[in-house]
Parts: sequence; structure tokens; C-alpha cells
Amino acid sequence: MTADFATMLSAVFPEIGLVVLMVVVLGLDLLWRDERVRRLGWITAAGCLFLVVLSLVFALPPAEPLLIWGGMLRLDAAGFVFRIVFLLGAALTALFSLGQDDLQKHGEYYGLMLVSTLGMSLMASAADLIMLYLAIELTSIPLYVLAGFRFRDDKSVEAGIKYLLFGAMTSAVMLYGLSLLYGFSGTTQIAELAEQIDRHSVPVSLLVISLVLVLVGFGFKVSAVPFHFWAPDVYEGAPTPVAGYLSTASKAAGFAVLMRVILTGFWAVTPIWMDLIAGLAIVSMTVGNLLALTQTNIKRLLAYSSIAQAGYILVGVAAGTSFGMSGAVYYLMAYLLTNLVAFGVVSVVGQRVGSDDLSAYAGLSRRAPAVALILLISMLSLGGIPPFAGFVGKVLVFAAAVEAGRWWLALIGVINSIVALYYYLIVLKSAYLLRSEDEQKPLQLMAGWRVALLVCVTGVLVLGVVIAPWFEWAGKAGWALSIY
Amino acid sequence: MSGTQFIFLVTAGVTLAAAVMTVSARKMMHAALWLVLALTGVAVLFALLRSSFFAVVQVLVYIGAIAILIIFSVMLTRRVVQEQRPRVNRLWWVAALLALMLFTGLVATLASWNGLYPTGQAVAGHPEDIGALGLALVDPAGFVIPFEVASLLLLAALVGAVFIALERKGGMQ
Amino acid sequence: MIPLSWYLIFAALLFCVGLYGVLARRNAIGIMMGVELMLNAVNINLLAFWSYLYADRLNGLVFVAIVFVAAAAEAAVGLALIISAYRRRNTVIAEELTMLKG
Repeated sequence: MTADFATMLSAVFPEIGLVVLMVVVLGLDLLWRDERVRRLGWITAAGCLFLVVLSLVFALPPAEPLLIWGGMLRLDAAGFVFRIVFLLGAALTALFSLGQDDLQKHGEYYGLMLVSTLGMSLMASAADLIMLYLAIELTSIPLYVLAGFRFRDDKSVEAGIKYLLFGAMTSAVMLYGLSLLYGFSGTTQIAELAEQIDRHSVPVSLLVISLVLVLVGFGFKVSAVPFHFWAPDVYEGAPTPVAGYLSTASKAAGFAVLMRVILTGFWAVTPIWMDLIAGLAIVSMTVGNLLALTQTNIKRLLAYSSIAQAGYILVGVAAGTSFGMSGAVYYLMAYLLTNLVAFGVVSVVGQRVGSDDLSAYAGLSRRAPAVALILLISMLSLGGIPPFAGFVGKVLVFAAAVEAGRWWLALIGVINSIVALYYYLIVLKSAYLLRSEDEQKPLQLMAGWRVALLVCVTGVLVLGVVIAPWFEWAGKAGWALSIY
Repeated sequence: MSGTQFIFLVTAGVTLAAAVMTVSARKMMHAALWLVLALTGVAVLFALLRSSFFAVVQVLVYIGAIAILIIFSVMLTRRVVQEQRPRVNRLWWVAALLALMLFTGLVATLASWNGLYPTGQAVAGHPEDIGALGLALVDPAGFVIPFEVASLLLLAALVGAVFIALERKGGMQ
Repeated sequence: MIPLSWYLIFAALLFCVGLYGVLARRNAIGIMMGVELMLNAVNINLLAFWSYLYADRLNGLVFVAIVFVAAAAEAAVGLALIISAYRRRNTVIAEELTMLKG
């Protein structure tokens, strides 16, 4: 199927919009030398939401997946759903960044965030290895800068360097794997890879070695064990809104490419990759949860928790079915909102109390009952308690694993979820049960934070209660990922 | 052994030796200079692969820009680095083991692929066609999206690098 | 005529030397040099495959060009971050960095 130029142009309309928005933000940053520069966060958030509306109106995916721009991009439901997820994530992150003068006063901060969002959007719809690699770099390089954005803060710069060095290494390893894939097949089209590799009679061992090399890069992006070393240090050092963005949108983009490449490009070795992914899922869940148990810094705790969450999502991927992919997509949507709100609360408390230590949360329920309630909802959702979004996500991925005959994987997942509840409850214990001397002082919330927190919590509740419409979209995305 | 084979072996040997020195030299400045030699060797191999365009690009981008950037960073940071400290971490043998295992795995599996010994007809092929490459990069049915995105990537990297490395008034706090 | 396998084995060796450098070095700039070696190995791989097997198509050449762009962007941002850290005399990054543990 070929597309005419107008279709191709309207398909990348949201991406063009992101570039325009970036230029506007950078331009206004030049023009506004005074207090007005603080409006940039609102402009970024409003622009991203506007682009969500635009893509809902103009860039709806066709019923059948369509290759566009010379096979570089694939116009399908998966790219569409992920793009909306990323745009929402960027908008919420922009709002959480308000009030932090070393972030919000620099147009570059929002500009780079938008470039990174554009990269993620291209990652989710890339249909060609060249495009895929370029999109991954376009996502990562601005994120390296954002992680080290507080150039006066040693920890932030260290986080930036650590993230960059790990990212550069794993992307080089992945690229070596991609170069082998190109060599074996002569094509860079993901959809043609499997067929061409078959035609060139490539031995399974070679395919497996390229699979492992490619998985190193994807494992880094989704922060699965054993490619997780960077996550705790980077989350702790990076500005909190950036850490939230890294742990949600960037991870979701990693899963988007993981599912697309592995399902389409490696179907010849499906049993092998299913086992590999299942192994990654088990170690990610177990290691992430065990290390999270002893953390006293909430950002490190959330980092290990996000490693474990990547493990749960991998359970859905390891099922290898269309249902498993849909479950993973639903889980990612739920996880994005839940983890963003968790990092949002951390950002709010970090700014008002001045510490990311668990002890800073003592007496939170008296200082700011609403914030404490939001923290409660997000922790219970991360722990997989109904009626919140995280519960539905977990049920879906575990059900997919059982349906695919991997009940043991689901069992390990359930046991891990129970272990994880312990440390989520520890956070709530300090917020609700511990007393502190400052508990008479209420926390002041900025308007932007209120809006963002409210949107996230509403989303967590809606995704947890009204399942059908969202699952329909996740199902479409999962289906689009598993056909080629 | 033919003449080109001889050139290949010499270049490959020099490049690998330079690469080994790059990762093991005690002084960072020496490592950077060895890197320049390794990059030059790679440029020669590009030329042997009938890709004179990328041989030139290799010299311009890698040696002319990236290696110089690295040398500048080494010089700018020299006052902090103490040359006496060990250059590698305690787990260097794990790193060596990983690299060795990967290499053995790669070579062992590559050897099992018959595609490795091309059947002749493509071998004599034509040299790269720069005109066609240029046209493909701006062709909507070709690679125009990667081309545009690459320019955006360079812009973003530029903005980010300038923001981070800019020396501000009262920068040290 | 040089066999294709020579190029591929050379690229594999160069890649593994670079990987060793990345994993073993303690200095951030040293790690960046290792990454550059790895990327060069990838480019040798791509050009060798293109030249011997798929010289009638352009995707290999475009891939190489894109790798060049990404490598330049990565090096620029990386060295900017490293210089910014050194300027603050952050010797943790200068001397104690290791990629083998968290």
C-alpha cells in the first residue's frame, strides 16, 4: 500500500507541530528577558495538549497499518497511542517543572524536552532500522542534557554524565547488532528483516547474537536488569521532573521499539526471545523489588520500583501474543500517569521541604492532606491495588502470561507484587503515621502543580474504573504491533 | 598475497595496535593521539572499501572534529586529573573477559554463515554514487525524514552543549 | 581481493577493544574514546557489508551517514558535560567512574 503526499504530511503533523512549538519556546525565551519567561512552562504544556487534540482530529491511524515516507515510518494505532502518551507526559512534566527557577527560566529546558518528545514519537512509529537508531539518539541526547541541567549542582551533572556514558555505550552495542542485521538481510526495513534473513539462510546462532546485542540497547532504555545500573544514580541526581519523565515516557518509548522490533524482526527465533525476555522480566522484578526494600531516599526507591515495574511490563511482552502486547500498552498508559504523579508529589515535597529523604514525608497528611491522599493513590496504584489503574495493568499482563502457558512467570510476578507492597506502604507510613515538628505549616501548591496532580490522579482513577475504551485502544495498538 | 591484501593487513594491524594503546595508555593525552591514529587507519580501510567519500568524511568529522574536541577536553581538564592514579578500575578483568567472550562468540558464529563468502558477482560492483546518495537523502520516498531529523538532532545537541558548557558570570559558587 | 570476513573480524576486534576501554576505564574522557572506537567498528561493518553484498542499494550508505551525525552529536554533548564537571573540580567523575557497578 502506498500513501499520497497529503496523507504522509498529515501523518507527521504532530511531529512538525513539536518542532514549531520548540522554535516558539526558544524564540520567546530570547524575547522575554524578564519575569514573563516563567510562562514558558504553561506554553509548553498548552502546546502539547493542543497537539494531542490535533492528532486526535487529523492524525487518526488508518484501519490497516500503512508504511509512509519511503518505509521510514509506519502509520498505525501503536504509533498513535504512544504519541499521545508521550505528549501527555511532556505536558505534565512541563507543569511539574514550574516554580523551579533553575529549570523554568531557561527556554532550552522546554525546547530540549520537546525535541526528546519528538524523538520518542518517532521511535514508536519507526519502521526502519536507520530511523529507529536516529530516533533513539534524538530521544536520548536531549535527555542527557536535561539530566545534567542543573549545571551548578554536582549531583545533577554527575547524573547527566553517567546517563550519557551508559547511553552511549549501550546504543553503540545495539548499533553493532543493527549493523549485523543489515549485513545478514541487506534491508533496513524492520518488516522485511525476517524474510530476508530467512532467504540468506542465516544460522540461528548469528540471529541470537544480534538479538542479544540489540536487547542491550533496549534494556537500557526500559531500565531492565542487568542494564539498570544507571537508573538509581541518575534519578537521584537529575531534577525531579526530569527523573519522572525518564522513568515514564522514555521507558514507554523503549518498550514501543522493543515490541515492534522483536515481534516483527525476530519472529524466526520467537521461542528464544520469549525465554530471553521472560528471564529479563524475572531478574528485573526480583532485583528491583529487593533493592527497593532498603532505600531511604524516595527518588532511589522510585528508581528501583521503576526497574521492577519494567519487569512486570516485560511479563506481558514475554507472552508474545497480541493480548500480551495490549496488556503491556495498557500497563504503560497506567504506569505513565501513576509514576508521573508519584514523581510530581516528590517534586512538590522536595521543593517545599527541601529534601528527598523519606523522613521529609513525616506529617505530610497533616500539612497537606490532599497531597498525602494523592501520594496514597499513586503508591497503591504502583502496588497494584484495585480500583486504581496499576491493578488493571497487572491483571492484564499476568493474564496474558497465563494464557500463553507461562503461569510460572505470572506467579513470580504476583509474589513480587506482594513484596513490593511493603516498601510502597513504608512511604505511606511516613506520610500518615509519623509525626514531625513542622506539621502545622501547610504546603503551598502552585496552580500548575495542582492542575497536573489533579489530571494525573483523575487519569489513574479513570484507567482503573472505566476500562473498556482504553483497553480498546491498547488492543488496537497491540494488534498493530503484532502484524506486519 | 596480493598488494591490497598486504595494505589491508598492515593498516588493520596498525589500527588495532593504536586502538589497544587508546584504551590502555596511562596519559589521557597519549590515548587521544593514539585515537587519532586509529581513526586514520579506519579512514584508509574506508578507502579500501571503495568508499572514498566516507574516507574523506571520516578525516573531516572524526579526526577533524571529534578527535580535536577530545584533545581539547583533555587539555582543559588536565589540572584535575592526577596521572599517577590507576587508569583502569579493579574490575578490569571482568571487562576484558566480557570483550573476549563477545569476540569469540562473534567470530565463531560469523564463520558459520555462508553469506560471508559472496559468490563473486557483487564483488566487482561499482564505487559509491554520491549523486544518488544525495538525491536519496531528499527524496520523500527515500530518506528525507532521517535527513531532516538528523539536522534537528545536531541542532538539539548544539543547544544542549552550549547551555551546559557556557561559562557564566559568577559561574563558580 | 580481500575477503569480506577479514573486514568483519577486524571490526569485531576493534569493537571489543573499544568495549573493553569503555568498561575498564575510570576516566570519563577515556570512556568516550572507547565509545568512538565502537562506533568506528560499526561503520566498518556497515560499509563492508554494503561494498561486498549490497552495493546496488543506498541504505547502507545512509546508515553510515546517520551514524556519523549521531556520533558527532553524542561527542559534543558528552564532552560539554565532562568539561562542565571538571570546571567544578568534581573528581568523582574525573577519577572514580566505573561502568561495572551502580
